[in-house]
Amino acid sequence: MQKRLPSPLARLARATRPRPRRGPRPHVIYLAIGFPPAAKSSAYRMRETANQFCALGWDVTVITISESAWEREYGLDHTLSAGVDPRVKVVEVPLARTDLETDIRAFSEARSLRPQHWIDQQRREELRIFPEPVFGGWRFALEKALLRVHRAHAADLLMTTCAPYVNLAATWKLWQEYRVPYVVDFRDGWSVDVIAGTTAFAENTPADRWEKRVLEQARAVWAVNEPIADFYRQRYPVIADRVRVVRNGYDGDCVPATTHRPDPEAGLTFGYLGSINFAPALLDSVLTGWRNARREEPLLARSRFEVRGHIGAGALREANAHMELLRAAAADGVEFGGPVPKAEVAATYGRWDALVLMLVGGRYVTSGKVYEYAASGLPVLSAHEVDHDAATVLAGHPLWTGAVGLDPKRLTASFVEAARLAVRADDADRAAAREHAQRFARGAQLAPAVAEATRFARPAAQATLTPAAAQASPAAGPTQPTPAVPTRPTGGNPS
Amino acid sequence: MTNVLIVAGDRPQQESVLVEALGRFRAQGARVGIVCDFALDGFTIDPALAELHSLRATEPDAKLRRTLARNQQPSRAVWLRAWHDGWVRQRVRTADVLVALDGLAVHTVWEMAQRQPRADACHGLGPAGKVIRARHEGTHRPARTGLGDVVSARAGILARGARRSAVTGVKESLEATMAPAVLRSRAGARLWRTVVAAPGLPDRVRGGLTYRLHVRAVRADRPGQAASASKAASARMADKRARAELLMREATEELAMGRVPVCLREAVTAELAVADDWLGRKNPRKAAQSLYKAMRLLFHRVPHFDQLTSPLAGDPAGFLAPLRGSRAAQALAAPRGREKPAATPPADRPLRLLIATNGNDHFLTDIRARYADLPGVELRYVHLTQDPVGDTLIRNAGAIVEHRLTGATEFGNRVEEWFRPHLDWADTVFVDWTVATAALLTLVDPGDTRVIMRLHSFEALSFWPHLIDFSRVDELLLVSEHLRDLAVEVLPALQGEQAPALPVIANAMDLRPYPRPKDPAARFTLGLIGTSAVAKDPRWAIEVLRELRAVDPRYRLLLIGSGLDPAASTSVRQYQDALDADLAELEPSGAVVRVGHTSDVPGALTGIGVILSSSVRESFHCALVEGAASGAVPVVRDWPFFAGRAHSARTLFPAGWVVGTPQEAAALIRTATATEESWRAAGEAASAYALATWDWSVTRHQFDELFRIPATEKVP
Repeated sequence: MQKRLPSPLARLARATRPRPRRGPRPHVIYLAIGFPPAAKSSAYRMRETANQFCALGWDVTVITISESAWEREYGLDHTLSAGVDPRVKVVEVPLARTDLETDIRAFSEARSLRPQHWIDQQRREELRIFPEPVFGGWRFALEKALLRVHRAHAADLLMTTCAPYVNLAATWKLWQEYRVPYVVDFRDGWSVDVIAGTTAFAENTPADRWEKRVLEQARAVWAVNEPIADFYRQRYPVIADRVRVVRNGYDGDCVPATTHRPDPEAGLTFGYLGSINFAPALLDSVLTGWRNARREEPLLARSRFEVRGHIGAGALREANAHMELLRAAAADGVEFGGPVPKAEVAATYGRWDALVLMLVGGRYVTSGKVYEYAASGLPVLSAHEVDHDAATVLAGHPLWTGAVGLDPKRLTASFVEAARLAVRADDADRAAAREHAQRFARGAQLAPAVAEATRFARPAAQATLTPAAAQASPAAGPTQPTPAVPTRPTGGNPS
Repeated sequence: MTNVLIVAGDRPQQESVLVEALGRFRAQGARVGIVCDFALDGFTIDPALAELHSLRATEPDAKLRRTLARNQQPSRAVWLRAWHDGWVRQRVRTADVLVALDGLAVHTVWEMAQRQPRADACHGLGPAGKVIRARHEGTHRPARTGLGDVVSARAGILARGARRSAVTGVKESLEATMAPAVLRSRAGARLWRTVVAAPGLPDRVRGGLTYRLHVRAVRADRPGQAASASKAASARMADKRARAELLMREATEELAMGRVPVCLREAVTAELAVADDWLGRKNPRKAAQSLYKAMRLLFHRVPHFDQLTSPLAGDPAGFLAPLRGSRAAQALAAPRGREKPAATPPADRPLRLLIATNGNDHFLTDIRARYADLPGVELRYVHLTQDPVGDTLIRNAGAIVEHRLTGATEFGNRVEEWFRPHLDWADTVFVDWTVATAALLTLVDPGDTRVIMRLHSFEALSFWPHLIDFSRVDELLLVSEHLRDLAVEVLPALQGEQAPALPVIANAMDLRPYPRPKDPAARFTLGLIGTSAVAKDPRWAIEVLRELRAVDPRYRLLLIGSGLDPAASTSVRQYQDALDADLAELEPSGAVVRVGHTSDVPGALTGIGVILSSSVRESFHCALVEGAASGAVPVVRDWPFFAGRAHSARTLFPAGWVVGTPQEAAALIRTATATEESWRAAGEAASAYALATWDWSVTRHQFDELFRIPATEKVP
């Protein structure tokens, strides 16, 4: 933590720092750990954000971590990178999660003797650097990388997307040193525990101080749904008018162009596509419901349930309790087919007859896949809590079975209902389903927010925007006036 | 060909994942060996996929035993056993890929990797699969194999060996200063107490030292010093988990010695603090693990069942205070209620009655016989141990705790699947014994099925009733008033709006076969039926016999039953040792005769003139009542667990049956057996009373009421 400096000294300190070089076009640095080709669900949103800035005539530099780091987690999907605007510059910081290391030769003897204890100890040390386990230790490397990029090519705006929340430390550093305005794409938020539906940390804790300080200076704070946005408006009334809902939406290339015709004689194919990162109990409830439904409904007895996505990371990759459940369910027509590259998503949906939406959490969780599911034109079976934001998205969808919670008995009925919908739905029903989801196209969701963000850039950057670039800007949605942000720092680091 | 050696420290949790991975490895040209640090009972792998080898198949030799005894790290122990094994050494020499299947195996693979520099060393099947595939496809980048690496690895092995020897030497010297004589001396005890409570010691060092000191002080018969040192040291420990680990370890060691741990309360409190901490961090799964650990210690058999007293029975509120104060335990006890109330019995068809248990079904014999034949009842009986799935479910109390805390688990789904068809069928479920079946049943919403459970006795001193959601139970049947009082004291869930009704009905006993003519010689024969628990306290009966024989050597004692199991715990063995000493003195003269188990109790009772209940606790004591029905004179110890309370043996039985001391018992027996006439008259009165009060012909109507059998269907 830096000590507070009296403001004249602070100004002097800033004046002696290296002057960043400016480019001919406005420049946004996008701190986006998880940017393609990382095979992460957040990568789609990051890709679209970067592309929209490019389309608006901005230079975009993405800061993320090295490709090899993702190998330890969910791996890489190079087909994701294909959709990234070639003008986007990507800077990789050589960081990786040590807890996911699986090469035992890289272990110390102490780690080999008590692996979990070693990780716990690491976490305690990380928390001393920044109040976020696992990622807290990345703080200084990210700060340095961000300053280096800014000095090489001055940023007019910093877009920061979390998680990880340690990005806030680097964001704050750039603000302190160079007063670069920033927007925080908070997605799921930090102080809200979206899974439990409660507050993740108390007030006046180090994490709270970090969050409060950084958000107070943000030009805008994005959240993926209204409940999270409301949470932040209430927790920090001072930023209430800067909190925006920027939903995830779906990518047009992920939606199948043609509709699969079910063949009831051969049986149906149910599908799940997404990371399998929820509790094994949830998966088990769904598989139990599926098994029971097969006993009740002859059509389902000859049907299949295909599960696709990433399971586990590090040493537990595809070797955890979820995998055991899926293997055990093989006799019930359940198949696990591994992850699907982004380029094959549409074709995968195109082979299926109905979708199973397995989600954790409740009213604070929306997920990204619900939009794809809604837009697929296929029947959607909800396997999540009744009070869940995914239900807000699906409300009115003509091929939705409704949210019934996670009781296997109720899920049994949902499977039967989804099978019935799959068989009975005609082209008009499917078109109506697609139509219902159209408002959730990712581009349309992000465009107003990105357009607004460009207006938060330094005045010099505004002047460099060419008329052509400005014309390329999609129709901006309703915007808020730029908040009055003090030009002086309010002090040192919060913790 | 890629040679793969997999090390498993624990039985694999995901067996089908392992089998699937082995199939893949084989298809990629791998030859796999799996070395397991667990017994292979029931764990099999197709030999075509992998060769299995257990390190536990052979007993360790003396050298390995000594090495293991010095080692305290489980993961190091795996390595020590592995490297001592010729099969493993040979496999390491040829291994291309070394795989740790779990955290416990990581150190073994790490050590192996130092000795086999050209092998890849992976944690987990997924990473191993990538290496094997790369080797198969020829894209693998070989590990370090240069001379420098080999020399460096060898030097590391030597350096670590030297360091370990030095540390072991220091430890052994340290332990010599904890000799019993040192600890019995005031100066030695004070010195060590000061050392373990010294400020600035890292928790790990303090924990290790304190544990050693505690165990040695207890063995030196200085439990007070042990407790004092542990309390002082644990108060200095900042880390809750380290504190709990120390106190739990000490308590576990004392239980193994057959002692009630001196820091039992402190250990439980510390572990519950860990559980609460996990719950606060929104990790109910880990909270459940800690909570279950604390409960297992709190209700361990040694303090409650293998002694003649129980701290729980003596002061339920005080003993359970840590549990009641824990947020995790409160979450466990939180009532979830039921969606619908129990329906009224059907009027248009027979009542469907499900009787379920996983315990001793002796007390169900007459109940089952009656309702199997009653036209107004359709009976279904399930004993969960006789069902392959049910048998698995009842053996997982930890999963019940986890489900109650998390609200959703795979285990809960399995329980729901198993019970739901039964609940859908039954109008009334009667669960005998408030143990696993009862706890499992209340994980499931019973719908409109009426739920009745019966608590006998020992359950009140166990953790089982604390796992039951009594808001889903309509009636909890008890077999005596004093057990009801104890149950209410122990279980707050038995009071309040959502509490079940608490009827009392005596055990179902057909007493008609018991009255039979007695041999005149039986007049001087005392009988104690059932000696399989310390709580039966046969030494009290022997004390009565000694009192009698001091005046009249014609008295003798028959001990009928299978006796204690000394393997159950050290404290049982200690009681058995004392009993054996008594028997060695009295058996040769025929004063005491051990009969062993008999299935013909009425026949055995013809030779018994006085039936004893010497127990420290009973809920009802069927054997005594059967003896009384046979015409033997009943002599009941005022069961100490309940003596002096509102309800006790004195309120359950007629006043003339109950005595406070062996001397009173001897006096009562002498009076009753003074003449053959007085003896027979006393026996006949007791028999008449027993038959009129507790015979099935009387109590079955109470069961009819309980089960709400339509009156028209009642059999007289």
